[in-house]
Amino acid sequence: MSVAETIETASGFVLDAPPGELQDVIADIKALVNDDSAVLEGVAPAVEKYNKEQLITTKLPGASEHVIISEYNCLPDGRFFDVGCQSSFEFDHAKQKASNPQSWVLESGNAELIKALLRDVAPHVKEHYPSSPAFGVYPVQDDAGVAVVVVGNKYSPSNYWNGRWRSTYTYTPSSKDLTGTIRVDVHYYEDGNVRLLTTKPVQVSLNSGTSAEIVKTIAIHEKKYQEELNRAFGALSEGAFKNLRRQLPISRQKIDWEKIGNYRLGQEIGGGRSVVR
Amino acid sequence: MAAQDPFDSALDLLRRLNPKYTANNVNALINLVPDLTEDLLSSVDQPLQVQRCKKTGRDYLLCDYNRDGDSYRSPWSNEFDPPLTDGTLPSERVRKIEIAANDAFDIYRELYYEGGVSSVYFWNLDDGFAGVVLLKKSVSSANESTGSWDSIHVFEATDRPRISHYKLTSTVILNMINGDESLGEMDLSGNMTRQIEQDMPVEDDSSHIANIGKLVEEMELKMRNLLQEVYFGKAKDVVGDLRSISSLTQQEKDRSVHQEMISSMSKR
Repeated sequence: MSVAETIETASGFVLDAPPGELQDVIADIKALVNDDSAVLEGVAPAVEKYNKEQLITTKLPGASEHVIISEYNCLPDGRFFDVGCQSSFEFDHAKQKASNPQSWVLESGNAELIKALLRDVAPHVKEHYPSSPAFGVYPVQDDAGVAVVVVGNKYSPSNYWNGRWRSTYTYTPSSKDLTGTIRVDVHYYEDGNVRLLTTKPVQVSLNSGTSAEIVKTIAIHEKKYQEELNRAFGALSEGAFKNLRRQLPISRQKIDWEKIGNYRLGQEIGGGRSVVR
Repeated sequence: MAAQDPFDSALDLLRRLNPKYTANNVNALINLVPDLTEDLLSSVDQPLQVQRCKKTGRDYLLCDYNRDGDSYRSPWSNEFDPPLTDGTLPSERVRKIEIAANDAFDIYRELYYEGGVSSVYFWNLDDGFAGVVLLKKSVSSANESTGSWDSIHVFEATDRPRISHYKLTSTVILNMINGDESLGEMDLSGNMTRQIEQDMPVEDDSSHIANIGKLVEEMELKMRNLLQEVYFGKAKDVVGDLRSISSLTQQEKDRSVHQEMISSMSKR
């Protein structure tokens, strides 16, 4: 396999890493390629893409609040900015650590809306995201739009569980359209590997387009989606899962294996459904 | 620090990456480290493929245990497809048990799965024999949820006078998809593996069928309950830990009201 092909394969593994497990995946890749530095340098773009896609959170030196890494707050020189703490900072993508913060001032035609959204999204996140959440509001699309990004993470590797909720929305003031995507990713890996992946698009036309209306719309859609998702767990459990395999045979009795020869297929194999003893 | 064994790293990676693409990831790992080919193919369970037996017209399941080169042996005809003149077959005694086991698990399949496909393959060991019981069922409908269940039970039976020692390793691969306009896409996929070892009494060869049947039936019941708990209980709870439908202030209030009720009741 050529170095380029190896990098492509390893990059695929990086982008598929479950929440909170990027370092484990990178350690596995290192062992598999024998610490080949050309490969490890080659996956750097995938690691950066992963951090932005997954809305990785980090704390600025000396700060207590989390800030987000995303495609929306990346500066041309590779640094990231956060409107709320008026800072830009360096980010080490491999170690997922921020450094060297500098003061940074928002310049945007939508500056007022962005500041209002930061104020109004905060209580929504505080009330509905119990596990180390983070949020950000940024100017996007050459200042033609505003992005609202919310992420909640729960890492419990000692119980072999990790999860992430990501919501990203873009509001376009000229058309008053709010579009976005909600994604849930949950991983269980004790003597197995089970993954829940969901994607729900959101698209709404707003009336006033005020910060209050945007946040209220987001809150309504997230609540409705979460209720729908909870119903879907029940529907799968009662529907597809039950139809795949019964808990017990129709007789509600386990099989008498000593007399298995006495069970007879009611009809010939192939079309048969009922079994009689 | 000692370098990690590449095989352990490959298995760790497969435990983390999306289980829906295990087959693709195994291929990628084999291309990356060709030395791991044999170990990965024999130790990583993948969804079972179905093939129709040309001689009997019945469906059977394909896995590494009924494969010889590019051919697969049908449990119904005992013949390889494409045909092989020197394919590895079980001994006459073991094939006899294999035929009885296929009949027994065909009944088991009908009773528990009400459809699907089953296949049982046996092979000789120096001090006994080993085998695999395979079961597969898929359900799909246009507007509702779809799903597939693959059971792979690998066992070894060590022959001893009047008692046989069984070692069973069971994997269930369960994939489910749900989706419509209000839900969007929901994919709940994965696999779980469990092992047990047990001594059981043996009178003659037919005892093996009953013993293996009981072991597999017990294991599938346990795993079905476990899958139900993980897929529909725990996964849902974690989503609730990530985001709360009710406001956290309201939850705190409810909790303190509840506490007060408990403490006022205990004062009586």
